[in-house]
Amino acid sequence: MNEPMQGEFTIATEGDIVTARRLVREAAVAIGFGFVDVTRIVTAASELTRNIYHYAGSGVMRWNVVSDGGREGLELVFEDHGPGIADVDKAMEPGFSTGKGLGLGLPGARRLMDEMTIKSKVGVGTTVRVQKWVKK
Amino acid sequence: MAGESISVMKIRGLLLVTVPPDPDDLTISSLQEKVLDAMERTQARGLVLDISTVQTLDSFFARTVAETVQMVSLMGGRTVLAGMQANVAVTATQLGLTLGRAETALDVDRAFDRLLAGPTRGPGK
Repeated sequence: MNEPMQGEFTIATEGDIVTARRLVREAAVAIGFGFVDVTRIVTAASELTRNIYHYAGSGVMRWNVVSDGGREGLELVFEDHGPGIADVDKAMEPGFSTGKGLGLGLPGARRLMDEMTIKSKVGVGTTVRVQKWVKK
Repeated sequence: MAGESISVMKIRGLLLVTVPPDPDDLTISSLQEKVLDAMERTQARGLVLDISTVQTLDSFFARTVAETVQMVSLMGGRTVLAGMQANVAVTATQLGLTLGRAETALDVDRAFDRLLAGPTRGPGK
């Protein structure tokens, strides 16, 4: 029941990162984002999807259109039941990484999107919610 | 999509590799192996990475490219990244990506000119 502008996708393999990028690209184009913003959103989704794959093993990405006072945007939610993030503030610092990455994933995704909220509990999981608004 | 095949061509003593538009991580990793293998086998003087069709340059891709540049450099070669799209350049900068000591050129033609012109090191060092 996935439509371009709303849906859910399970991330469990490395190849799913590519599929997630394609789904997010289709959604962003359908909502009417400009070329550069589409690239920003897809790149942020790539970072957050890879985080799920590398740190939690599997998880879910959801996307849908959001509106707020006449403006429209795209919301992406990345949810996993992985190890959780012990110190979210620390994880948002550029260059901080507990894995093999560059430590750019979370802070980079925040810069590319307009809004980001992270809820995480050690041993329970992590939910990252990001939004980007269409510029009129 | 998984493990897309990538061809490595040798032209005028240089390797030319065209990166597919939306490569998965496996493809990017195998690209690095292929390049290093070809550097050794063909004794090329340098590498041109054509990224003109690449739509998404994320931190994994950037790290692998930066590593490859470093490895090619250890083998005595130079790498030029050719044809990065404007929207990709904007996004990569905002994401905070650096590509190590990679030199860059507007397109493949200019990348070849640059590598064939001489041993001058580009920006980054």
